[in-house]
Order: sequence, then structure tokens, then C-alpha cells
Amino acid sequence: MIDRAEVWVFWVFAVPLIMASAGVVVARNPVNSAMSLVAAFFFLAGIYVLLTAHLLAFLQVLVYAGAIMVLFLFVIMLLTTGDQDFERTRLKVMQVAGAFGAAGVVAVVVLAVNRLGPMPMSAVPSNFGTVKAVGRLLYTQYLLPFEATSLLLLVAIVGAVVVAKQRI
Amino acid sequence: MEQLIGNNLASVAGFRPELVLTFGSIALLVLDLVLRRSRSRRALLAGAAVIVLGLAAVLLAAQSTASTPLFNGMIASDAFATFFKWIFLAAGFLTVLIVAQGDDYPSPRVGEFYGLLLAVVLGMFLMASATNLLTIYMSIELVSMVSYVLAGFRKSDRKAAEASLKYVIYGSVASGVMLFGMSYLYGLLGTFDVLAFAPKIAELSATTGAAGAATKLALVVAVVFVSSGVGYKIASVPWHMWCPDVYEGAPTPFTAFLSVGPKAAGFALALRFFLGSFAGPMGANGMAESIAGIPWPAVIGVLSAVTMTLGNLTAIAQTNLKRLLAYSSIAHAGYTLMGLATLSALGMQGVMIYMLIYLVMNLGAFLVVIVVAEATGSESIFDYSGLVHRHPLAAIAFGIFLFSLTGLPPFAGFTGKWYLFYAVIERASGPAGFWYGALAVVGALNTAVSLYYYARIIRAMFLEAPHVTDRVAPKLGYQLMLGAFSAAILVFGIWWAPIVEWSQRSMVMLRG
Repeated sequence: MIDRAEVWVFWVFAVPLIMASAGVVVARNPVNSAMSLVAAFFFLAGIYVLLTAHLLAFLQVLVYAGAIMVLFLFVIMLLTTGDQDFERTRLKVMQVAGAFGAAGVVAVVVLAVNRLGPMPMSAVPSNFGTVKAVGRLLYTQYLLPFEATSLLLLVAIVGAVVVAKQRI
Repeated sequence: MEQLIGNNLASVAGFRPELVLTFGSIALLVLDLVLRRSRSRRALLAGAAVIVLGLAAVLLAAQSTASTPLFNGMIASDAFATFFKWIFLAAGFLTVLIVAQGDDYPSPRVGEFYGLLLAVVLGMFLMASATNLLTIYMSIELVSMVSYVLAGFRKSDRKAAEASLKYVIYGSVASGVMLFGMSYLYGLLGTFDVLAFAPKIAELSATTGAAGAATKLALVVAVVFVSSGVGYKIASVPWHMWCPDVYEGAPTPFTAFLSVGPKAAGFALALRFFLGSFAGPMGANGMAESIAGIPWPAVIGVLSAVTMTLGNLTAIAQTNLKRLLAYSSIAHAGYTLMGLATLSALGMQGVMIYMLIYLVMNLGAFLVVIVVAEATGSESIFDYSGLVHRHPLAAIAFGIFLFSLTGLPPFAGFTGKWYLFYAVIERASGPAGFWYGALAVVGALNTAVSLYYYARIIRAMFLEAPHVTDRVAPKLGYQLMLGAFSAAILVFGIWWAPIVEWSQRSMVMLRG
């Protein structure tokens, strides 16, 4: 059975998570947008902890909220010069269609989740979400995607250098 | 756990071509540095790339085509994947040959191009054999990421930079949507393993009434989201927006590669995804039914009709040859989707044959664009007038490729189209036959429309007087390739038995 406290904690993280995510999209200023994203990452880490995925939560804060967001902010600050005039050509039709589409998707998902009813739950093994367990999975079951990711990162780095380097 | 490791180790035996491509790609990046000062570095690097591809081809030929899951079910090795792997190797090899002779990729940076190209070929190999949502995503990203770079390779070129940026933005949106869909798919089915989808979907839709309908609807939404990744790769509506700009802006040899390689990979992935996990096994009559009666054929059929119509109608107004061929490639994605919509053995074979023939005819068409652009510096249709007087071989070869793209006999394109239409018409006598009949009619009308704009080029080349009379003198290598492509189109237009037999043998797909 789900603990009552657990449900409370879930809402404490979930509602600000949605609000922060909306902030990323709605904010006009790119820096505000990026800061909302940091907040979203933190709240998401909280949800991971609730799911007993401690390593994931830790990496989320360390890698995303830490390293990657700093990079984002650097890029935004380097590229944005003063007040930028974003061209505001918004089509009414597109907005209405987009709103309908989004509402439709939300409705479908809510319906599906509601009708599915309570899912059977099982206790996770005691080592679930630990560094050791995740590492084992990565190097056994998911070895191929793991190695493919490393190759992807390698070619992405080479590609970034190729595109970015000034001379040659 | 020992079992998992053992399976990984044993899987290497079925993964040799991919390993060669991986290490070959890295080796080329290093070789590029070693040969920095070498006088003949262009030739050496191209030779190294050809050797890597050749080695991969030898190992691929030596490999068994028995259906086996590899790496604990992450990918599959089967005859179906092997068929497409040959297409990818051929696309990579021909692109290397074209790039080695041209100057689209300047000498100091050509080594990186080859290294990255091999990585794309590897990504396409994985796309054709992925049987897990994780590998599907990884392989699509591997192909996309590298393609962004290769499209924007010429920094001084503003058009290329714009193309690359548009490609990145559309690509990240498409893969974001795909990931979103995958998360719902996982939530609904509880597994990443594509091969295990079919029984789960059947189980999920067994609940009748409102609950069943709601979950089915959610499933459809999730799958449509996932298909955005595939649709983006094959450039079908509504994920086609990037196609004209990227095709126009990217260096032409890479455009040619993009139009045949990743498109074929996208179709391989789509065939495996839809036929493998959303349709039951094929019956004695070679037809499969979609699981739980979810109308996938209708969804794909509508996409197909809209894609080909939009591609063809927009192509009419184009005057830039690369843009025109981009819209034509959208239209061809539409034709090929017809084969997917039938969910039958014949349709699957049609897609495979079409992608093989499309490789030759579309690469050929882009090669003519490269030849003419090198001589005149222009990609405009107006500079093609009187091409037959300036360079007869290029003009005649282009004529052959264009007639073949239209699908007229006795060119190979006819063979491909014949199988696609035949698959649709075979379905037209069954249930929901009216809609398949309508799809065939739309396809036929579109073929007529496409003849109009292809013929416009042919008329310009053969009937109009040239603006300038100097002769275009392409390199000998280009001439040989044009001759070989035209010969292949003519031969397979008349004697298509080998292609049909090969694709027939390659229709074995690993199923859950």
C-alpha cells in the first residue's frame, strides 16, 4: 500500500515540477527559461528519490542541474546580445489547433490512466537503484546501447570540432 | 548474470561488420591526423574508407542470415536486416566514390567526412536491426547527429549553415516527440522489447468497453508519436519540412546519400516495427492483420496519399534541381509507404525492392546534378537547357534516371512501382478494399503528375537550345559511374528476376 506521506511528498514535488516546466516554455527571457529548467531538474530528482532511484536522482542534480545547465547559461549569455527582438508572427489558427491538440492528448492520457485502474505493485529488491545494480545492468543487459552511446558521443565531439573550428 | 555476459560475448560473432565499421570510423579519424602532410592524402583516405566498407562487406557476406537475437535482444540478425545492410554499404561506397572525385568536401577536412560517414553507415546498420526501443532511439540519434554535422560541413556557405541548423531543430523536435511517445508506450506495455509488444497489445485490448477503447486510443497516440522519429528519417508528411532546405543547402554528395541511405534505414525500421509488433504473423496468403484491429493500415495509407500528393504538387513549381529532387524524394517516400500500408508479404517485398532500385536511380540523378554544377556552378533548371549538346552522356543518363523515377517501363523504377501497386491492388479485393483501391488511384494520379515535372527537365535538356555552347567535360570517374548507373537501371528494368529472388529470400524477420 502506498504510504499517505508518500503521496503528499509526491504532490510536493510534482506540482512545482509542472509549474517549472511550463515556465521553461512560457518565459520570454532565455535566462529565466534556463533557471526554470534548473528548478524542474531538481523537482524531477525528488520524484526519482520517491521511486527509490537514488543514483538517478543524484546524477540528475549533478550532471543536468549542475554541468549541463551551466553550459546552457554560458551559451545563452554568449549568444544573446541585449534585448533581442523575437519576431512574433503567431498564427491564430496554429494556436487554436495546438491548444486543441494538447487538450486532446491530455484527455486521452488521463482517460487511459484512469481506466487502467490500480496497477499491481511489488516490492523492489533491496539493492534497487544502487550504483552497483545500475552498473551491472549497463554492462550486461544494456551493453550494446551503452557502447553505442559512447560512439555517439565520440562522433558528436568530432563533429562539434569540425563545425566549430575556425581555420582548416 | 553470467548468462547475460555470455550472450553478449557470443553475439560478437553476428556483429562483425558493425565492429569493422566502428573501428574503421575511429581509425579514419586518426589516419586523417597521420596523413595531415601527405601529398596523396585525398586518395589514401578515400582508399582507406573503401577498404573499411569492403571489409565490412566481406564479413557481412560471410555471416549467417539465420534469425537470431543479439546482445540480449537489443538487436536482431536476420535476412531482412542483411538485405538492408547491403543497401547501406552500397550507399556509403558510392558516396565515397563521388566525394573522392569532387571538391564539395575540401581536402583538409575530407578525412573527418569519411570517418563520420562510416559512423552514419553503422547507425543505419543498427536502425535496420534494432528490436528494442532503446536501440531504436540510439541508432536514430547516431544517424541524425552525424548527419547534422555532415550537412553543415561547408562553414563559409551560409546556405549550408542554415540547412544544418534547420536540420538540428527539426531533428531534435522529432526525437523529443519520439521519446515522449516511447515513454507512454513503455507505460502501457511495460516493456522496451519490441518483439514482446504483440502479445502485450493483444492482452491490453482484451478489456472491452470504455476501458479498452481508452487504452487503445492511448496506444495509437503513443505510436504516432514514436513514428515521428521514423517519419522524419524517411521525410514523410508531416515531418518533411526540413527536407527541401537541407537537401538544397547540404553539399550535393551528402544530399544524395541522405536521400537513399537514411530513407532506406527509416523504412527498414518502420517495417520491423509495424509488421513485427503491431501486426500478426503473415497468413498463407501472405497477408497480416493488425493486432486488436487497430487501424494502422488506414493511418499509414492516409499518410502515404498525403505525402505523395504534397511532394509531387510542390515539386512542379521548383526551379532549383536539388529542391525539385527533394520534393520528389518526399513523393517517393509516399509511394513506398503504400507498401507498408498493405501489411502484407507483397507490400514488404515491394518496399525492399523499391528502396534498392531507388538507391541507384536517385544517386544517379544527384550525380548528374553534381556533374552539371561542377561545370556551370548552377543548380537551376535553366542551365540544363540543351544539355544534350553540351554533354550527351549526362543528358541521356539523366533522362534514364528521370524516366525510371517516374516509373515508366522498361526502366528499373517500373519494376519497383509495379510491386508496390501490385501489393495495394492485391488488398483491394479483400475487406476495406475500396480504400486500398482509392490509394492505388491516388498513386497512379501522382505518377502522372510526377511525369509532368520530370518531363520538364527532359524537355529542357533535349529540346531547348543551350544558352552557352561550351562543352561540359566531366571527370572520367563520373562518366563511368553515370554509365554504370544507367546500365543498371536498364538491365533491372528488363531482367528483374535476381532482385525479386533476392528480396524474396530476405523476407525472413525475427519475430517474438
